[in-house]
This record gives sequence, C-alpha cells and structure tokens, in this order.
Amino acid sequence: MPEVLVVDDSKVMRDMVVACLRPYPGLSFTHASSGLEAIERLSLKPYDLIVLDLNMPDIGGIEVVEFVRGQDTLRHLPIVIVTTRGDEASRARALQAGADRFMTKPFTPDAILGEVKGLLERVHG
Amino acid sequence: MDLADFLPAYLTEVEELLGIANTQLLALETAAKQRSASPRTVRELFRALHTIKGLSAMVDVEPIVSIAHWMEAALRQADHAGGRVPEDSIEPLMQGLRAIEQRVHQLAAGKPVAGASKGLLDRLEQLDATERGPQGSPAAPARLELEPTLAAKLSTSDQEQLLAGVAAGKRALRLDYVPSADRAAQGLTINTVRERVGQIAEIVKVIPVAGATNGGGNLTFALLLLTREDDAALLEAVGGPPATLRMVASSAPAGPASLPPPTSAESLLNEEEAAAAEPRRSGVLRVEVSRLDEALERLAALVVTRSKLARAVATLTAAGAPTRELVQVLQENARQLRDLRASILHLRMVRVGEVLERLPLLVRGLRRTMGKQVRLEMDVGDAELDKSVADRLQPTLVHLVRNAVDHGLERPDERRAAGKPEEGVLRLACHARSNGRLELTVSDDGQGVDVATVAARAGVPVPATPEELLELMCRPGLSTRASADTTSGRGMGMDIVKRIIVEQLGGELRLETAPGKGTTFSLCVPLTITIVDAFVFECAALRYAVPVSGVEEIIEVDTSRLVHPPGRAGGMAMLERRGQAVPLLSLERLLRRDGGREGPGPKAFVVRQRGMPLAIAVDRLLGQQEIVLRPLEDPLVRVPGVAGATDLGDGQPTLVLDLPALSAARGGGSRLESAAAKGGAA
Repeated sequence: MPEVLVVDDSKVMRDMVVACLRPYPGLSFTHASSGLEAIERLSLKPYDLIVLDLNMPDIGGIEVVEFVRGQDTLRHLPIVIVTTRGDEASRARALQAGADRFMTKPFTPDAILGEVKGLLERVHG
Repeated sequence: MDLADFLPAYLTEVEELLGIANTQLLALETAAKQRSASPRTVRELFRALHTIKGLSAMVDVEPIVSIAHWMEAALRQADHAGGRVPEDSIEPLMQGLRAIEQRVHQLAAGKPVAGASKGLLDRLEQLDATERGPQGSPAAPARLELEPTLAAKLSTSDQEQLLAGVAAGKRALRLDYVPSADRAAQGLTINTVRERVGQIAEIVKVIPVAGATNGGGNLTFALLLLTREDDAALLEAVGGPPATLRMVASSAPAGPASLPPPTSAESLLNEEEAAAAEPRRSGVLRVEVSRLDEALERLAALVVTRSKLARAVATLTAAGAPTRELVQVLQENARQLRDLRASILHLRMVRVGEVLERLPLLVRGLRRTMGKQVRLEMDVGDAELDKSVADRLQPTLVHLVRNAVDHGLERPDERRAAGKPEEGVLRLACHARSNGRLELTVSDDGQGVDVATVAARAGVPVPATPEELLELMCRPGLSTRASADTTSGRGMGMDIVKRIIVEQLGGELRLETAPGKGTTFSLCVPLTITIVDAFVFECAALRYAVPVSGVEEIIEVDTSRLVHPPGRAGGMAMLERRGQAVPLLSLERLLRRDGGREGPGPKAFVVRQRGMPLAIAVDRLLGQQEIVLRPLEDPLVRVPGVAGATDLGDGQPTLVLDLPALSAARGGGSRLESAAAKGGAA
C-alpha cells in the first residue's frame, strides 16, 4: 500500500491535497506541518512519494528537497512540489534541486492526481 | 471532488492567518516608527499572506488572491531591504488587510465577494516598501564557533541575532536532538522538542544534519539557540542522551564575526533564509466549534439522564428496595460524568488573549480617525474562557474600547491644557478568579464621565452613586452625542453591553469614574455558562436552581436576631454576619409569590451585588448537582434575574435564578446602601 507524505504548513491545504488523491486506490497519507517534521518522518519510516509546499516556517521546500536528494536511501523518492509561487525562477530552482514535478496553486484535483499516479506507476510499475 | 467543500475550513484557517497578519503588521508599524529593521516580522507577515493567497486560489476567490499578491510583492521588497519598511507604507498594507478581511466576511456570510478595488491594487502595486537602513553592521563583540557546513546555513540576520544575544548576556548554544521511532511513540518529535525548548530558550535556527548517530539513527537536528537556562533543563527538553550541548559563541576582544558568508542571496525567494519561527500550530488540532457544541449537547443529555436515574433510585430506596450497590454505581457514574464534563469544557476554552487580539488594531484605527493619541496597555495573562462566553464578550469589549477613546480620552490639546501628557492611556486587564469567574477591566485616564450631561440627557436628577450613574448610562437609546458618528453613538450601546454581561452571561458590570482622572468599567463573567454546578432549593412551594459560582455562602437565618431598620416595614431586614450588617431579602417577596410564610425563610444564600454582600432567604435547600443551563432565547419570556432554565431529571423545567440581578431588577439594589447604613447604625 503506497504511503504519501503530505507537507504543508496549512492544514486546509494538506486536507485538499489528500482529498484530490483519494480516488487513487490503496493510498495512505501522513501529514507533516513543517519541513523539519517532514525530514524527521522520512528518517523514521519509508514513504513512496512526497507532496511538498515551498514556503513554510522553519525550513522551506527547496531545502527539504536538497536534504532528501543528499541521502542515498531517499535519492529516488518521487517529490511533487505544490506552491503558490508560479514564477519561472522558483520552478527552475525546485527542479534543479531534484523535485520531479512542480505544480502551482490553484491546481485541479485531476491534475495532481495525474502527476502522482504517473510517478507512482513509474516507481512501482 | 469539489474544492469548494473546503470553504468552512478555509474560512477558519484564513481567520487565524489574518489574526497573525494583523499582529505582525502592528509590530511592523512600531518598527517603522523607530526606523529599525524587523526581518522576522516581515517574513511572518509575508508567510501569512502567502498562505492566504494559496488557499484563496484553491477555493477560487480571485479578489483576495490579487490583494494578497500585491501585498506580498511589497513585502518581498521590504525583505530585500533587510526587513525595513517606511512608515508611509504601513497604511496601504493595513487597507489591503482590511480589504481581505471584508471579503472573507462576505464569503462567510454567503454574500457575493466584491472585486478588488483598482485604487487599492494600484496603491499596493506602487508601494515602495523599502527603507534603506544604515549600511553595514557594527563590529561584533563575539565570535561564532560553528562547523562550516552549519555556518553556511545561517543567514546574516541569524548570525546577528546570535551575536546580539551573546552581547546581551545570553549563552549561544548548539543543542543536538536525535529523533527515533521510540521517542516519536512517546510523543517526542521535532515539533514537541521545539515547543519545549522554545519555552526556555530563543530558537534562532534548526538545521537537520544527516549522518550516523549514537543509538543507530541517521539524523540529528542541531538547534541553535540563545538562553540563560542551565544545561540540565535544556537536555531534559530534548529527551536526554544521546542529546548533546555545546557553546557556539565566545567573547572576542574585537573584530567582526569570522563566519563564511551565507551561500546565497538573502530574500524571501531563498528557502535557506526561512526564519526559524516557532511552529504556529504544532501539536494543535483544530476542531470546528459546531463539533464541540455537539459533544457538549451529548454530555448535557447524559447529565439529564443521570438526574432521572438518581430520581428513580431514590424512589426505589424510599420503597424499601435494596439499592446500596445501585447507589455506589450512581456515585461512580457521577464522578465519571464530572471528569468528562471537565475534559469537554477544557476543549472549549480559548485564551482571553485571542478574544482581545483585534483590539490593538481597533485602537490604531480610532487613533487615526479621531486625531487622539492613545497608548493601549494590555495585561491579559494566560486566562482562558469558554468559546461561547468569548463570542458574546467580544462585542462588549469593542464597544467599551470605542467608548473610552471617543468619550473618555481627551484630544492632545485638551490634555495639555489639563496638565496631562498628550498621549492618553487605555488599559485592558483581566485575571481569572478562583470561583470560576473572569474579571476584566477597561480603564482610561481621560476626563471621566460628565455626570451632569448624562443626567440632563436622561431628564433625571444627577445620580448620587456610580451604580445609579451606570443604570442611567445603560438606559436604551441614551447618548450624550448629538448625532451618531462613525465611532460611537451607533450600533451597540451601553444597554446592550449590560444585557450581554448581566442578563446573558449572568455577570456583573461596574463603573468607577472621577472627573479629570478617568473611567474604569469592570466586567465579571463566568468562565463557562453551559453545564454548571448549582444549588437546588425550594421557595413558596416551587423548585429553583442557582449557580454555585455566584453564591458566597449559605447561612441559617435566625429570625430572633434580625434587625428591621426604621421605615423598612415588610421590606428588608438586616442580619449580622461576622460583625457585618448584611441586608436580607425574602426571595418569596422578590418573586412576588405568596407561600403563606410570615417573615423570611430559614436559609439564605449570600451573594455579592455591586461588590456588597446581600442575603436572600429561601425555604429549603434540596441539594447540589450539575445542571445544563438553557438560556431563555425567547425575548417574551426573558426576565431580569432569570439566567435560564434546566431539567433536573423529572422532565419539568426548573428556573435558574441570577439572585443579584433579580434583586436589582426588583429594586432591592437601590435600597441596599441606605439600608446597610441604617442597619449598621442600628
């Protein structure tokens, strides 16, 4: 059963992401309300995919991506960035740091579901 | 799946974010006036607006997205300028925040959301929210000792914060916390660690460090902090070993900090620069009030059912049935219900600080519109009260604050002429009492209430006491203002304040005022009003209840020792209580019932009315129990002195009395002082 880590300092946004991904059969979800909490959870248990906000207190999404990509065990973990920052510089920095997908808010349920589905199928076949 | 389903949750979170934004913007205004940098404040404000913008985009509220976007842009510039904002940028930002609030309220009320005004967007777009401060930082009196990889993660403002802390006599430390599955199972996570450490130290930055740890982990969180706390407390806060602690700053004779520069440019767009702010909601679960109300309703039904059960068991016992075991189970059940009630009521409590958090903004607005100088001082501590009480209380406080600035405080020239500082002081204070009540005061150092004008407006003689003056001020429709303006003299008057505090909440409202010195309104309200402990008693063959929190003492009435002041035949008697003469009223008379009794009943409740003791005689005390207080919503059956109704378990509604209010409504209050004076003399 694939497990997704949903990281955003807004609880409503996390709930929205989970609601968008619910139609994917068998997914389970873990919430993290900050970048540090996400890093801690990743050190304690394996996940199949992260949905990650960029702008958070403590440390931001780019730093989380860099940290994850610096770990041998997490090097190939799929990462989807969801952010309000739609500028090209942010997109370039996120993808350069190692994010797999970059989505700007607002996104449609179908759009994020499609991205997550594609990434999970790429990993799990 | 429709994201519009998230609207209620969106509204709740955005309200919270607006509260944060308001607080940060006021802090930014203070910093702007002092021309000082405030990078963390700028970032916190930016983050709140950024989240509002993202959420609003998801639920498709374009006007809010636009306003938040341009406010963000201005704040990004301010961040580039090191967190400095010119004072004239604050007002457009305030207008932007107000505009977002208005649209959120429209959305909450189910009304169409107004578009973003072009004028406002232009003002925000043209905002040059940058204020160049003094360039370069002064030579640091200390040096940071950090590994280069960690030092590279620190921004200039992080470094400055650490060095400034050391200069102020604090220790700059690196505290390493090692997470583990066992610790997480015990509730020790990076979030709880930050909360615990944050209570005894100022956390400047938390940096995750990958690599093997003692105990088989592969991650360490390095917390860089400033503190005066001892090592043992800090280590305990992170769960003890394998945690470690080391100094990261030491005094240096002179010279700048020998740190490598941050690896990247400083801006809000740079994620490494995110401020190490305390997590806003870590360890907090937000629950909709309606769900808590539902839990309370279920509990209320249980309380009533338990009363029915107790009644049935009493009937069985009276019939001679063996009920000992049943009674024990009932007692156990009562204890469990009490614990459950405490837990649910605790869930419903909100900090008083949250109730008052919008008042600084209100005062700021009043300052500007009225051209008065006002300093708001707040001393609210960490008292808590029930959400339903808080919701009722808030509009009354807003009115009293408006009233103080409008009518109480003088204009700067008037204050100068009166030999006072030009800036008036408005003070809000509150503390929880041990009897389950909250005392709040709203005081100003203004001109005091013009008693003669109030009396003239009401067409009555000048009142002799503060109580009479307050009665007069609380008359519906009374205003000393010739015409309504935007500040006060409109909307809710003092009559509504009194109705909410006294009639709806069963609280007290008092007034103290002195010409030229100022005015203080004191409010005393119960912390909760739904399920309360009550004394059940009988009077004139009818059963009543009275909340325990309002009763100071229950005394025996010795009719042979009563004193009847002259001229009070058939009315009030006086009894002696520990050397003090206390007026005694008959509840039977107050209720205008005739139970056929000569003289007062044998028991009396001692309550406080306007700070003075007052005894109210009843026939028989039946016991003490938890009751569910149901307010009388229908205005046709609302009576002063009746707090509500309850079901004691027999299905019959029982009136819950507010004895001080009942006495005041029946004219007992106005006779107390004179009676006390005469009785004291007798």
